[in-house]
Amino acid sequence: MNKINENWLERNTFHHADFWDLIKLVEEKEKKGLKISLCIPTLNEEKTIGKEVLILRSELMERYPLIDEFAVIDSGSMDKTLEVAKNYGADVYLASDILPEVGDKRGKGENLWKAIHQLKGDIICYVDADISNIHPRFVYGLVAPLIHRDEISYVKAFYDRPLNYSSGLRPSGGGRVTEILIRPLFSLFFPELSHIIQPLSGEYAARREVLEKIPFPIGYGVETSHLLDLYAMHGLETFAQTDLDRRVHRNQTTNALGKMSFGILQTFFNRLHAQGKLDRMPDLETFYRRFEVEEGKYHQVVQEVIEEERPPMIEVEGYRNRMASS
Amino acid sequence: METQEIDRETALSGLLDQIPERVKTISEKRDSFLTDTVLLGEIPSPTYGEDERIRAVVDRFRENGLSSPTIDEFGNASAHLPGTEGQSSILVMAHADSVFSQEVRHEIQVGSDHMRGPGIADNALGLAAMIALPRLLDDLGIQLRDDLILVANSRSLGRANLEGASGFLETMSIPARAGICVEGSTLGRLSYSGLGTLRGEITLQVPSDYDWKRFGASGAISHVTGLINQIREIPIPKEPKTQLVFGGLRCGSSFNTSPKQGTLRFEITSEDNDIIGQMEDQLNEICEQFSAETGTLVSMEVVAKRQNCSIPFTHPLVKTTRSIMQEAGITPKVDPSTGDLNALILSGLPAVTLGLTTVENLREINETVQLDPLYAGMTQLVTLIQAIDQGICDS
Repeated sequence: MNKINENWLERNTFHHADFWDLIKLVEEKEKKGLKISLCIPTLNEEKTIGKEVLILRSELMERYPLIDEFAVIDSGSMDKTLEVAKNYGADVYLASDILPEVGDKRGKGENLWKAIHQLKGDIICYVDADISNIHPRFVYGLVAPLIHRDEISYVKAFYDRPLNYSSGLRPSGGGRVTEILIRPLFSLFFPELSHIIQPLSGEYAARREVLEKIPFPIGYGVETSHLLDLYAMHGLETFAQTDLDRRVHRNQTTNALGKMSFGILQTFFNRLHAQGKLDRMPDLETFYRRFEVEEGKYHQVVQEVIEEERPPMIEVEGYRNRMASS
Repeated sequence: METQEIDRETALSGLLDQIPERVKTISEKRDSFLTDTVLLGEIPSPTYGEDERIRAVVDRFRENGLSSPTIDEFGNASAHLPGTEGQSSILVMAHADSVFSQEVRHEIQVGSDHMRGPGIADNALGLAAMIALPRLLDDLGIQLRDDLILVANSRSLGRANLEGASGFLETMSIPARAGICVEGSTLGRLSYSGLGTLRGEITLQVPSDYDWKRFGASGAISHVTGLINQIREIPIPKEPKTQLVFGGLRCGSSFNTSPKQGTLRFEITSEDNDIIGQMEDQLNEICEQFSAETGTLVSMEVVAKRQNCSIPFTHPLVKTTRSIMQEAGITPKVDPSTGDLNALILSGLPAVTLGLTTVENLREINETVQLDPLYAGMTQLVTLIQAIDQGICDS
């Protein structure tokens, strides 16, 4: 299995620079008759939304017509998010106005879910609104594998984390929640999924035909649930991932990360329960899987971590004898 | 001669009539040059470190349909837009370097009516406007007879002493009819003269064998202060207009340690080259005397020096620029340049510098450009290029 995985990493991991030729990409998209929608979920993002809409629209709709529809779906911002987004030409929607008959829930996942109904594209690309170093690569890097490879249906972003070590080797992966929570959980229960370098990244593109078939947690669990549900349906081959270099965004407090982890754990255990893994726990994996990057190449590092245990001292004969004789 | 004058006036009046419509069209086509402003502005480009931004400019030249853009030995990027006749050319130049170092976070924020970030006005916006010209001319249905030479010049600011612009002009093979320097700051700026300038750095060192017991002994901060006081005694004439600016002072790094070295940066500008020469002599004397009297080592290095140069206020290029500004609702503010314009005029080219929009906090981290006035600023640039192309600005 490990061999297949290594091969997957090689075949389905891309770098945005692989797709620099946007003219070629647009030609391929048109040849396949694909329509692409871009969705930015927002809540009070007036500081960054203007730049995202300006750059992505100007570069990927006007200069290179890769995107056919550009939508901002908002959860009820109190600041000027909608005004700024509209000013730079985005289609602006309130999540509560989409499918009003199903009611209104507050959360990013709600906006992503309602986008499937509102937008027309065969491919929907989701990009978070808080990226301060926005660049067209954040979109074309994600949609390109879907344009080029029919068997791929879901592409996740991963990023370079600027940590430098003198050896030239550095651990690579996600943020704190990914490294402390998700990667150990995946290593234990879904080892193949540990090949996704940043399972929680907020930028991904997917085909409508898979998005419409999976549930959407409205809160923190949405990214995790996508991976678990699509993996259960289609296996690892449905996924790809693209290196988008650096992403600069807000840093979160440890408290916020705790809340996020709590939401993710709920989603995770719901899936374990549904898949019967909670009632009939399998033998737990003892291999911990993480990534290292060397000279731009990503390698999975597998370490055996066996948590051996000693019994309570009271059960050890030598101890009982010593206590009896003293 | 008279007929020629009437022809020019008619041609100019035809151009001026189109200004309101052009402001509107340019505002509708803004996304591309605003995007370039952000993308280029977020690439740090300190003087002598412009390579990455220059490469991005070359990519843009190519994407905008210009064939064979080049990077020359001075680090300038240039490209040609061929005219229908191509017997002459018009040079449009925007400097690619910025006063902000690589370490400064180059993040640009985009609001509904403004953009903010280090170096956005000086000169990411000017650079993006220059790059946008081929597409804008196309959008406006303008075909030039002259070739348009577009230059993103490196090594303009500070110590670089206009090295990029001067180098480009020395090696330029096609004769140009006129030149325009494009700056983000500030709308209404009309420079047609280059101010004589001397930029220097005075370094004061307390030597290792300094006698700390001597009368008046102190660390570098006190000495530099004393030196500044002496420099301020130099009489500065009001006419011809002359100015001495202290632009930077570096000395010390802690609370409780007397520093051993201090560096003072200054600039002298004057309408009279002789006065600059005299002030340079006086500064040298002060440094020498101060050094001898205090037992410190004081040295002065001239890092940039340029002569006064000008085209007349009545030159058709200047007159036409004023008419265009007026029609576009821009109030001209005559402002002698200490930048690339000097290189252009000294090379014998009639040239002006234009600013594109209103700016706040120039050369601060929160440098801000307003978007509404920008469209008139861009229109004046396009209209002036057209006027030069039609021979309206020839002397």
